[in-house]
Amino acid sequence: MKFHEMETVDKAAVLLSTGLMFLGIVVLGVIETFDGRAHVPATVEQTNQAGEVVATYTPTIDPNIRVGLVVAGIAVLLVYGLYKLVQPAPEAEQPATTDTTA
Amino acid sequence: MATTQYEFAGFEITETLTGDWQRAWIAFLRVLTGWYFFHAGVTKIMTDGFNYTYGPIYLRTEMGDTVLGPLAVWMGNNLAWLVKPGVPLFETLIGLGLLFGVLTRLAAVGGVFFMTMFFVGNGAFAHGMFNSDLMTLLLFLTMIVFAAGRYWGLDAIIEQTAFVERHPRLRYLLG
Repeated sequence: MKFHEMETVDKAAVLLSTGLMFLGIVVLGVIETFDGRAHVPATVEQTNQAGEVVATYTPTIDPNIRVGLVVAGIAVLLVYGLYKLVQPAPEAEQPATTDTTA
Repeated sequence: MATTQYEFAGFEITETLTGDWQRAWIAFLRVLTGWYFFHAGVTKIMTDGFNYTYGPIYLRTEMGDTVLGPLAVWMGNNLAWLVKPGVPLFETLIGLGLLFGVLTRLAAVGGVFFMTMFFVGNGAFAHGMFNSDLMTLLLFLTMIVFAAGRYWGLDAIIEQTAFVERHPRLRYLLG
């Protein structure tokens, strides 16, 4: 099935779930790489030999926000899966009905 | 996309990927992902039996300050009776499901749940956000999207049974 043939709810699930994960991982990753902490996108405390914190490095974007976007994308997929389970029988899911040319 | 039909154990199997390499690779990924979880589960059983006490501790401490903190802490406080035996048991069952391709999508949903908790809880971002936890999480999602149990997995046969024919929604949990 081609994308434009999908039902609205299927298109929404695909775009929203992958979009949220793409935003959290790639888009905010690009921002963090060039405007924040390129190598370690998390809060890191530097300590001296006595164990005292002498410097704290914080990323531009709170990693909880990026993780939250990934979790939100997965949550969309979960809701979509539950929605499909309560829908009428999936005839199109049967492997025998497919396109025949590459 | 080409369709391939062949007979396996008396059943006519229809596959929809384009070639042998694609089918073999999907099956290969499924088996390796299954082995990863089977190994993680069965070694916990060998060490602690069905009493994985670190499970509730992990939920309450490691995950306490994360975006799933409220859910994780609640689970650690109220579902410890389930988490302790559930972690090794479900990891093993998820692994077996993927290894043999039985209830593959249902097993992979369980894998997604586990890996989401690990990705969020471990917060291992010393080398970037895209770490091994996230990759394994994406592997489980790939198993679901591709219905990986239909490729050299027993779900290809199970889906041909009269019971599944009568209850076609089960294909969302199989395959």
